[in-house]
Amino acid sequence: MYYVADVKEKECAKYNCKQCVLFCPEPNTLMYHDSKHVAWVNYGRCKGCAICVYVCSDLLKRNCIEMVMVTAGD
Amino acid sequence: MGLEYVRISPGFEKYMPKDYVDLVQFGPFGKQIDVQQLGQFKELVEEHPMCAGCFMAYFVRIFYASLPNPEDTIVIGTAGCARLALSQAAVPFIYGNYGDTNAVASGLKRALSIRFPDKVKDVVVIAGDGGLIDIGFGMTMHSWFRREKFTTIMVDNEVYGNTGGQESGMSPKGVQLKMAPKGKQFDKINAVELAKTAGCVYVAKLAPTNPKRIAKTVKRAILAARHFGPTFIHAYTSCNIEYSIPTEKVLEDARKREKQDFGFYEWMTDEVKEFFEEIERQKEEVKA
Repeated sequence: MYYVADVKEKECAKYNCKQCVLFCPEPNTLMYHDSKHVAWVNYGRCKGCAICVYVCSDLLKRNCIEMVMVTAGD
Repeated sequence: MGLEYVRISPGFEKYMPKDYVDLVQFGPFGKQIDVQQLGQFKELVEEHPMCAGCFMAYFVRIFYASLPNPEDTIVIGTAGCARLALSQAAVPFIYGNYGDTNAVASGLKRALSIRFPDKVKDVVVIAGDGGLIDIGFGMTMHSWFRREKFTTIMVDNEVYGNTGGQESGMSPKGVQLKMAPKGKQFDKINAVELAKTAGCVYVAKLAPTNPKRIAKTVKRAILAARHFGPTFIHAYTSCNIEYSIPTEKVLEDARKREKQDFGFYEWMTDEVKEFFEEIERQKEEVKA
């Protein structure tokens, strides 16, 4: 059981912003979908630092990312 | 080293690891990518064992996304946190002994300019505050005195993070660390002024709060090193473990430190300034 970031796709699609992707410290983890214009998380690589949540909720006041609990194998 | 080494020989695609195939197809080799495209291409640096929320890892990620010629670059690192991520990238990496990174880089850069006289090969040193300003101080300074043409980047976490939290020359005065219980007695070393005095032609100091600016600074430092002489970037990359910063507050801390003592600072000699102005002018002419 560990925390990973999860993007709320519907919320995220409202904005054409990529700030969380630009501030994730992990490579190839928080990715951006070219055609849907949403960020998406590669759960297997996310270390759960929640910097993206800080960027989205505290800096931009958009609340499109939340931390969710997953179990290995999800 | 060179694009021909990156490509997979025909017929071998299905035997190569998927990450490598992705890198050749969607990676930045041979393309001029912008740091704003992050998340839309396969990055050079792979999964690494650095701590969650580490801003040194973040700096390394942006650094690899902003290399002007990743296929013609060699990165040199040393003991310390940064090498954990640097060694996981698709760019040749040399592990110098503790403190001798700049000496190794000097030799390497000279050898490369003899072996490939018609090509540009970039050499970049990324090491921590311990590797460059404490233990490697002599060799760092002498490489600058000799005006060796390569870039030195100091990822300054203000502590020896790997060995349990001893104070380094770059720790701020008065800070109490796990292995410095009395608090540090001396001031933080002014590395930027040292670099200017020692003969660097381009010196910058930044906190990683703006990826576009990091990319611009790294590109400028590498371009200036190709033509003029040594360049130096001092980057604040907090250690969230030793300084007990909650991971989600790491960016907040970087923004706070940027306001205090890590405001963006850039200094260059007049000839370097002219060189960049010329490049900007050419870019605008292409646009128009």
